Amino acid sequence: MAEGTIFLQMTGVSKHFPGVRALHGITFDVRAGEVHGLVGENGAGKSTLMGVASGSLVATEGEVRIAGEPVQGDPERARDLGLSIVHQEPALMPDLSVAENLYLGLPKKLRPPPSNLNGWARKLLKHWSEDVAIDPRAHVTTLNAEQRFIVEIVKALECEPKVLVLDEPTEHLATEDVERLFERVRRVTERGASVVYISHRIREVQMIADRLTVLRDGEGQGTFDAKELNEDQIVSLIVGGDLDRSFPDKAESGDHPVVLSTSGFSGPGFSNVSLEVRAGEILGLAGISDNGQVEFMRSLAGIYRGAGRVTLAGKDISIRNSQEAKRHGISYLPGDRHREGIFGELSVRENFSIRSSRADVRSGLISSGSERSRTNKAIRQFAVKTPHQETPIGSLSGGNQQKVVLSSVLSAEPRVLLVDEPTQGVDVGARAEIYRILRETARSGVAIIVVSSDAQEVAGLSDNVAIFSRGRVVEVLSGDRVTEDNITSSVLKSTEQRDKHHRSVGAFWKWAAGNSAPLLMVAAAILLLGTVAGIWNPFYVSPRSVTGMMTFAATLALVGYGQQLLMMVGGIDLSVGPLMGLCQVVASFFLLSDAGLGTQLAGWVLLILVALTVGLINWILVDGLRMHPMVATLATFMGVQAISLILRPTPAGMIDGKIMIALGTKIGIVPVTFIIAVLVAIVLEFVLYKRSIGVSMRGLGSRPEAARTAGIRPKLTRLIAYLGCSLFAGIAAITMIAQVGIGDPRAGLSFTLGSIAAIVIGGASLFGGRGSFIGALLGAIFIVQVNSVTVFLGLSQEWQQYLLGALILLSVAIYSKSREKVVQA
Amino acid sequence: MTNTATPLNNRGGDAGESRLKAAIFNEFSWIWGGTILLFVVCAIVAPGVIKPGAINTMLPFAAILAITAVGMTIVIQQRGLDMSLPGTMTLSGLLFAKIGFLTDSTLLAVPATLLIAVVIGSVNGLLVARVNITPIVTTLATNAILLGAVRTISGGSYMTAPEELAAFSHSRVAGIPTTVILAVLFIIVVSLVTKRSVAGRRFVAVGANPAAATAAGIPILRYQVATYAVAALCYAVAGMLFTGYIGTASHIAGNDYLLPAIAAVVVGGTPFSGGRGSVIASGIAALFMTLLGQMVLALGADTSVQLLVQALAIIIAVTIRYLPQLFLFFR
Repeated sequence: MAEGTIFLQMTGVSKHFPGVRALHGITFDVRAGEVHGLVGENGAGKSTLMGVASGSLVATEGEVRIAGEPVQGDPERARDLGLSIVHQEPALMPDLSVAENLYLGLPKKLRPPPSNLNGWARKLLKHWSEDVAIDPRAHVTTLNAEQRFIVEIVKALECEPKVLVLDEPTEHLATEDVERLFERVRRVTERGASVVYISHRIREVQMIADRLTVLRDGEGQGTFDAKELNEDQIVSLIVGGDLDRSFPDKAESGDHPVVLSTSGFSGPGFSNVSLEVRAGEILGLAGISDNGQVEFMRSLAGIYRGAGRVTLAGKDISIRNSQEAKRHGISYLPGDRHREGIFGELSVRENFSIRSSRADVRSGLISSGSERSRTNKAIRQFAVKTPHQETPIGSLSGGNQQKVVLSSVLSAEPRVLLVDEPTQGVDVGARAEIYRILRETARSGVAIIVVSSDAQEVAGLSDNVAIFSRGRVVEVLSGDRVTEDNITSSVLKSTEQRDKHHRSVGAFWKWAAGNSAPLLMVAAAILLLGTVAGIWNPFYVSPRSVTGMMTFAATLALVGYGQQLLMMVGGIDLSVGPLMGLCQVVASFFLLSDAGLGTQLAGWVLLILVALTVGLINWILVDGLRMHPMVATLATFMGVQAISLILRPTPAGMIDGKIMIALGTKIGIVPVTFIIAVLVAIVLEFVLYKRSIGVSMRGLGSRPEAARTAGIRPKLTRLIAYLGCSLFAGIAAITMIAQVGIGDPRAGLSFTLGSIAAIVIGGASLFGGRGSFIGALLGAIFIVQVNSVTVFLGLSQEWQQYLLGALILLSVAIYSKSREKVVQA
Repeated sequence: MTNTATPLNNRGGDAGESRLKAAIFNEFSWIWGGTILLFVVCAIVAPGVIKPGAINTMLPFAAILAITAVGMTIVIQQRGLDMSLPGTMTLSGLLFAKIGFLTDSTLLAVPATLLIAVVIGSVNGLLVARVNITPIVTTLATNAILLGAVRTISGGSYMTAPEELAAFSHSRVAGIPTTVILAVLFIIVVSLVTKRSVAGRRFVAVGANPAAATAAGIPILRYQVATYAVAALCYAVAGMLFTGYIGTASHIAGNDYLLPAIAAVVVGGTPFSGGRGSVIASGIAALFMTLLGQMVLALGADTSVQLLVQALAIIIAVTIRYLPQLFLFFR
């Protein structure tokens, strides 16, 4: 590869999000064998630019070429052409193992045969470090941030990329791993490939980069030779001098009373913090992210539980939850606006008034007049750009959303205002506005605490600044010492590394959260119940009774497989029950003893076709018309049932005796249908864990965005799941023919609930990504067993229902609890 | 921001107009037009359906469906789905008859039944909000348990409804069936509370974004549990009225109400994404679905065709609301 080859070429790239211009006419190129630093503040557009390069975002304007080939919005192709990206937030699928994530993360031609992924993955992880402490079999949910990041880097390096993009790679790494990373980066460039290194740590970039490009507020500030510029020059390019950002004057000195103070306050991620904030004052909390400053603030807001002394205006208070914080007059403006700040679908008016609805109450009810005029006032005062009050807040730009949330928080007239990242995702114009509002609020006597990862912002806004490192306050700056330089140097000096930490989890919960635990638990329950019932009443384990149970279990298991297939990708099908009825009704017109072989054959084909058609309709309703899966399949539930009833208003059409006998064949005491069900479960389970399509399905259910990045086609995969689900309902209907023997339109109805119950007991998650066909089989066996055991134990029939309900609740409660317990961070 | 936002300072008449537009042409207004249209269609193709006598027989059933739909609406506003409707409704009808006969006092039977319903709903709510079991699984399981209880109490047979209740269910005030008045009252009260009270605003916020509600200092657990409790209360009232109207407390009364109740909510326009919703729209949709069913029957079709038409109504209702987005997308 010749020197000077350009691997990545971006020309005139712009990217607009609703209301925000994230990138504007950026030109960026990466040469073979270089490390190209990409620097800028938070929100400057670095990650967006690389999102466009990798195809996960589509540029509004401009062209992207990788290795000379134009690419637009196609992650898989970008990866095939040699672009590999390590995200700040790893794009991993949480319910899949480390090995499976590595497998899906590689281009198809580099993937090993999926039979021994764990051994292969262990080898890959060893390439990173010989003593790596990551178990390839572990679910990604159980890894901490650092481990997840290492998996992501290993994945990217293994692609042998032409262009490796590292997005803030050192944020999550311990010192020795940072050195390891630099060594890997050099090895990548030695073989002629190139690296894009995104970071806001200038020193790091200077150490490793050959050239660097500076972004500011979505605009390119030029590309330079790294050696040409010194640190100060880079800084001034990044912040654009002090012209762009003006901050309001600080508080006048004077003796203001202390409003809020903590002493020896500890909580998750921070310990022994003693700080105070006075009326009219803004206290800034600075530090590299994840050093406890946000957690400290959230504990004051009552979202996390903190321990220690907190006093408000001299009185000790306790903050056990967010209502209590609010009652004390402590209001919180969350940093993650989309998750915690706005109610996206609700109007600007509702978003504004929710934190202070009481102000609008006139004789018990909210007066819309008062609410409207208050909202209007806020819109004017905060210069919110919105078509009108009833516009859903989600359609406003980031800055306007933030202003609405800020105005809403302030309308509750807090004594203490906690602000997390006041200007994140806010365009430049709105920033100055927000700074002014915060300062004016302080001047009116409110005590304000601000967390920001932007040192300039903290410096410009705060009267005092506390520097957090590893959960402790290491320094407090005040007066003239509050400058960006002091903050930055203090932050960088104090946090040179972070400890490796991992939350310990009880062995039982760890086991219970694994894939095999539900199987073992249900299997044990089956054996236990069988033994007890067998001792109580020996007829229970008689061949006749066992055969009967197996016959029913086979049908339930087969339809359960279908439901499981769909739930694996996050869907649900309520229509399987009526569909089984319809298939059976169709059969009752063709599979008759006086019908010829041709007619019978047509019957079988039609039965399968009917099933597939319903599956296709469900998929069209969900993926095409974007209906909620439950609404869509409820509609098909009713439609399919109606067709059954129209075809057979009452049960009729005796099925050919020969077919019945064939379907009832037994080997020893075991019905053939049961043997088939067991074999199918084993095959499906094998595919699910050992074949690309199975792993892809679980990945899609686990986290659709990550799956898309890994090149999984969501629509196609869901189509397969919907067709598969209905196909299995059809097959289950065939086994049901032998039990019903006549075209009964209502015969299948109970299988909707039954199939969901079976797989849920077998360990499936309704959110997708988790589940097992063996589990579905065991769940089905267990349900049939519980139903028949009541008879043999002489319990009245209602016990079937009591036991079924209780067992579903118990098993799901255990699974949900255990999966919650092992989640890291 | 290409073509959406009107400039900021263009308030006054324009803002008032657009606010009016937003209030009238939202996803909940479709059902009004649809229902009026349906009445017109009925007048043409099946005039028998909208004769006073026919309407009078139909209204109580529409009213009972509307009350169940109110309960279902608020659960869906909390991103849930309540599959325990049949169990709760049936059990309430039976309990009411049983307690009524045991104590010989309707006055005691009503609060006792409602109290039990609230307990059932609270258990659902706690399992969903506290134990973190998905709503559909929780309520499917509790429904199984409730149906077990129905069997235990009824022994699998019918029970005559107390005289007083039967009389109440059939009574009229100023010529309007009491059930209808009750349903309208229910809808008005629940709508007023969700739209115009502090608690209702918070309820909507919790449904729209529980994490943001927590950050805003709203006790979300309380609202989530109360939602299921109020929903159960609705089903219980519907169950009692149904028992009274039919004259017997049946062990299968609620089975035929689950799908229509969900269908009414969907047709009414309450989305499954949480937060927004309209019990009024659901109530009107209950009337729409009942009338639609009657029309289909009057045209000589079977109950099965009725089911098919209802399924189509759901699909059309959802698709119609999605059309403007499709249109915008292609513009």
